[in-house]
Amino acid sequence: MQNSHWTAHLRLLLKPPALPHWTKRETDSFRLGMLFLAPWLIGFFAFTLYPMLASLYYSFTIYHARRAPEWVGLQNYIQLFQDEKFYIALNNTLYMVVIAVPLGLFASFLCAVLLNLKVRGQAFYRVVYFLPSIVPTVAGTILFLWLLNPQVGLVNTLLAKIGIEGPNWMADPNWAKPGLILLGLWGMGGTIVIYLSGLQDVPQSLIEAAELDGANWLQRLWYITIPMVSPITLFNLITGMIGMFQYFAQAYVIGGGGNLGRPLNSTLFYSVYLYQNAFLFLKMGYASAMAWILFLIILLLTILLLKVSDRFTYYAG
Amino acid sequence: MKKIFSVACALVILSLLLGACGPARDPNALQVWIEWGDNPKQIQELFDKYTAETGVKVQVTAPVDSDKILPALTGSNPPDILVLSGGDLAKSYYKEGLIDELSGAIRDGNIDMDDFFPAPLSMCRQGDLILCLPWGTDAYALFWNKDLFEAAGLDPERPPATMEELVEFADKLTIVDSNGKITQMGFIPNLSWSHTDLYVRNFGGFWYSDDGTQLTVNSQPMIDALTWQQQFFTKYGADNIQKFASSFGEYSSPDAPFYAGKVAMMVEGEWQVGPNFIPALKPELNYGVTAFPPPAAHPERAGTIVNQGTVVVIPAGAKDKAASARLLAWMMRPEIVAEEFCFNANLPTSKKAAEAQCFKDLGPKFQVFVELMASPNAFAIITSPISLELNDALGAAEERILLKGADPKTELDAIQAEFEPKLKEALGK
Repeated sequence: MQNSHWTAHLRLLLKPPALPHWTKRETDSFRLGMLFLAPWLIGFFAFTLYPMLASLYYSFTIYHARRAPEWVGLQNYIQLFQDEKFYIALNNTLYMVVIAVPLGLFASFLCAVLLNLKVRGQAFYRVVYFLPSIVPTVAGTILFLWLLNPQVGLVNTLLAKIGIEGPNWMADPNWAKPGLILLGLWGMGGTIVIYLSGLQDVPQSLIEAAELDGANWLQRLWYITIPMVSPITLFNLITGMIGMFQYFAQAYVIGGGGNLGRPLNSTLFYSVYLYQNAFLFLKMGYASAMAWILFLIILLLTILLLKVSDRFTYYAG
Repeated sequence: MKKIFSVACALVILSLLLGACGPARDPNALQVWIEWGDNPKQIQELFDKYTAETGVKVQVTAPVDSDKILPALTGSNPPDILVLSGGDLAKSYYKEGLIDELSGAIRDGNIDMDDFFPAPLSMCRQGDLILCLPWGTDAYALFWNKDLFEAAGLDPERPPATMEELVEFADKLTIVDSNGKITQMGFIPNLSWSHTDLYVRNFGGFWYSDDGTQLTVNSQPMIDALTWQQQFFTKYGADNIQKFASSFGEYSSPDAPFYAGKVAMMVEGEWQVGPNFIPALKPELNYGVTAFPPPAAHPERAGTIVNQGTVVVIPAGAKDKAASARLLAWMMRPEIVAEEFCFNANLPTSKKAAEAQCFKDLGPKFQVFVELMASPNAFAIITSPISLELNDALGAAEERILLKGADPKTELDAIQAEFEPKLKEALGK
């Protein structure tokens, strides 16, 4: 199509393709394409777009399950900004975004570099580092609850052998989030694999030229490898940030339905508080407002990251 | 080749679609959902008796995940009868229009309201309205490990007679090793879950007024109840207790803390003495059960219990309300209540059912609870439409008070200030 602006696509969708310069073959081809797209489009409109717009409407109401919603305008949003738990939830989530995401990127990049070294058993190591990422989330979290058990867990037992008294981990509000970060790092196999494939694309010629010029291992890493994989870093950073803002499953397993956010609200993340408001306190309108605020936060941060990233990413053609 | 391919594709899509269907729901059967259910087979057999009598099929789903209840109630296909684990949510559900008020069903089914014990029934009342009917209830008492008592030099047949004595005994029964690690606790006030409702009643109050219209979160009995609990944590260090508690086994396993001799006294419910718990998991345990002791200054509060229990509601979206009402009336018959709750060793909510021989057959330890049901100090848990949110805030405050040594009065004042207007608003509507 000539014009790739989105309104052109919309116009084409609304009016059946009968543009004069199209042959019958092109028309048929378009129709067939739309037919193949139809399932996804129906799903998108029914299960994504419609619920999003409905929740936008509900965020301005007090939502009564079987009675008509009661319009209250901006009340939910105003109450949210006065709600102490809202800020606690936001804080906890920002903690994870600011600490866990960069840490995860750094650690998985390091692992990928090591797994790229030509050593014996390279394939075996790659499998071992990838396996934890396919353990189901709930099973992995319960596993970590036992590993980090203050009294009988493996981690504290090993620490005790070298004379360190391990903290109370998931039972201590200061250590619950670090415990969750450890769980996340254990399961970072997916990010490692993406970095690994990116490392394959680093041109050998550049590395060899740098070697000839006398650059050591660290300098080659810093001046060649890292810039060459910077698009991957950006991708992992953005998807990691989006995922971390919606952090839920692991915190839900630790808290259980009745104890969400324990201990002492240290694991009360944004999505957890949203869930609590919607399904435990039956405040659907309030929760919808929370959902839209989260959407706006993630949207703004993603745009910001993309704008700032231009200076730091190098696209090799 | 192309034809085979498209046929194969169609088959794959068809099988995926069919696979997404859940277990078949018999459209002609009444659907009964029960949130709890240690023995689903037994419950289905019980309801099969209704089928034998009336010819109406009943399909029981038990246990039901709590997460499924709200979507079912708000959706277009709720069950015909819903049995909830607790009555906390009944008022909230009614406020949202999710369940029906039951006066009509009670009248049509000729349900004898005088047959209910007053304490569990009061949880279902809101003014003149009846929002639910209690079906089996729970009460809590003090359990003590006789062997550990003897090892500590205490008379194994003499449990503490006052709350002050309980603290003394707990001191003697707590063992800390040379490294400062706790190896045995005399008493943990919130073992398994919070029992503040029992303690606050022993101190003479509750966090609601008796009619549920006023919030009394920062009243003296509440402050006393939390201060009394706090001393166990400050004495031995909350961190140490947390560490010790993290080694406890699962609730329904032989390694549960009381069964394993890690905690010498506990506040627990009547099901513990029934066939699914101690007799099944740790039959050799040498223990006793008695009413939780009152404070020394108030012996008249002896035999205080707080009833909490399962309730039956009729969802607002149920298809055939008359059929639901008939099934409800059958469930409330004394012989049905007796059969179901003898089997599960829960307390009957029907006075006639309480006289049944099968409850006496559950043994003298169970009789302790049956007698407590008739105690003048038997209270029901008081709830309101904001119970859930308030309970969550109270739980968080309790955590701060017990684990971080926060000042009870400050914490409770904050909750009172936050929730008093919310309760007024909820009741006003």
